[in-house]
Amino acid sequence: MKFFTPFRKKSPWILHYNAGSCNGCDIEILAALGPKFDLERFGAINTGNPKQSDIFLVTGPVTYRSRERLVELYTQIPEPKVVVAVGSCTDTGGVFRGMLNVEDGIDRYIPVDVYIPGCAASPQLIIDGLVKALEILETKSKAIEKPFKLFGAVQMIGTKLSRLNMAQRVRHDEN
Amino acid sequence: MKKTVQIPLGSQHISLLEPIRFKFECENEKIIGVDADVGFVHRGVELACTRKFEFKQVGYVVARVCGLCAITHSLSYTLAVEKLLGYEANDRIKYLRMLMVELDRIHSHMLCLAHTAENAGFEALFMQIMAQREPVMDIQEAISGNRVQFDYISIGGVNRDLTPDLSALIHKNLAALSEKVDALMMLFDTNWSLSLKYKGIGVLSLENAYTYNALGPLARAAGLASDVRSESSDLPYEAVGYTMVLESSGDIHARNFVRLREIVNSIAMCRNIVDNLPVGEIQEKVKGKPKGEAVVRVEAPRGELFYLVRGSGQNILERVRIKTPTFSGIPAMMEVFKGSQYADAPAILASFDPCMSCTAK
Ligand code: SF4
Repeated sequence: MKFFTPFRKKSPWILHYNAGSCNGCDIEILAALGPKFDLERFGAINTGNPKQSDIFLVTGPVTYRSRERLVELYTQIPEPKVVVAVGSCTDTGGVFRGMLNVEDGIDRYIPVDVYIPGCAASPQLIIDGLVKALEILETKSKAIEKPFKLFGAVQMIGTKLSRLNMAQRVRHDEN
Repeated sequence: MKKTVQIPLGSQHISLLEPIRFKFECENEKIIGVDADVGFVHRGVELACTRKFEFKQVGYVVARVCGLCAITHSLSYTLAVEKLLGYEANDRIKYLRMLMVELDRIHSHMLCLAHTAENAGFEALFMQIMAQREPVMDIQEAISGNRVQFDYISIGGVNRDLTPDLSALIHKNLAALSEKVDALMMLFDTNWSLSLKYKGIGVLSLENAYTYNALGPLARAAGLASDVRSESSDLPYEAVGYTMVLESSGDIHARNFVRLREIVNSIAMCRNIVDNLPVGEIQEKVKGKPKGEAVVRVEAPRGELFYLVRGSGQNILERVRIKTPTFSGIPAMMEVFKGSQYADAPAILASFDPCMSCTAK
């Protein structure tokens, strides 16, 4: 009953969010989506809608004002989802580490599956990272679609219930 | 009953590369009021430059203010510090620096054109321009070792020299590019559906450009002759064949055309530089610590970039002030939005080529 897995794997949709980067990695993502490197041959397409995306590409070291939006976007992406951190400053804070308004990397806020190094991350590395992310997406997708036994149902309902709390919206003070 | 509707655009939106939020006050389809919020990516670079980093490192830190015009940032900072140290670079260094700045301008303008095309709904043209931009990125990678964020300029010179192989590569790629740019100019001028989206839309009049202090391509499209390259004498732009590009109608079409013609001009300048490169050292020893105050203006792809550097003879600087072109251009941009259709808003916004990470620093 692994019905959706092949579809997810063949057309991973990308959501791209800039959490305070210098644009260097963003234009490399655009270049990777462009004709020379052609990320779209994996079926990837850049969407603006978190509710339709599978892969979350984040650039930037997470600034004070973008962190709530980052978590909000993350919670809006349906399971299974994969988070890819593009660029050194997204992984650790990079050159911005310890600056006034910077939170030193996104893994303080959301779980990250693939880290792509480089300042700026080259398109080749971004493609490499995305292929890795596709493998992870496949395993996650299979895990979700695993058929469960009758007695396993009790356990599954238990996990579903415990997830209800997690799904609560993050509150924020700014409008 | 309230007659107007508020429509937000951003902070995360498919047509925006960066987080910026506009609140449009709309009456039916017409925009009558705009409110902009630009501070999402504020990182505190200016403060860190005066606390954490020594003045020799700051040049590479300010390059991370913006990835698109990184070289202009490090160039302006370096020029300011060199002024304080009483050092003047030789001609070869100046020419090599100019070469990189102009290459950067070409690729930045092409990205902007691609983005404008995409936001007008012309996805194929976006892909086409992105493909044509790659030869320039190849040149930059060959010269400096990195595609963007090439830390090419350092205090007292540049980090790599130009070899004959590289000059041949530059000539080959630029020749291919200039043919493509001619074709693009034809396309932008004569394509019927593009002209529906561009001609007469998002108009900034000369008077408004003057009162609201527009800069860069935005001002030159409206006919306002403002370009730091012709005003300052830090770099010998006149010697390599710089001409000012002016349009008069002030709409999106004019802005695209300013960019296209500047690309043509930049290609000519790059060829001149490569052909007439003076001989000399590419890296010279500079001694001392910066003391005093210096102001430098450099023309970035989006307009005038302003740096103020103050030092007190210590390793750590006292003040670094960066004023970026988009920041000064925001009032003019808000003015253009008023009175246009909401459906045109993404295309108009893309035609300004705003750079939020510059603005918020
Ligand atoms: S890793 Fe470097 S190039 Fe990429 S966004 Fe961060 S500072 Fe910019």
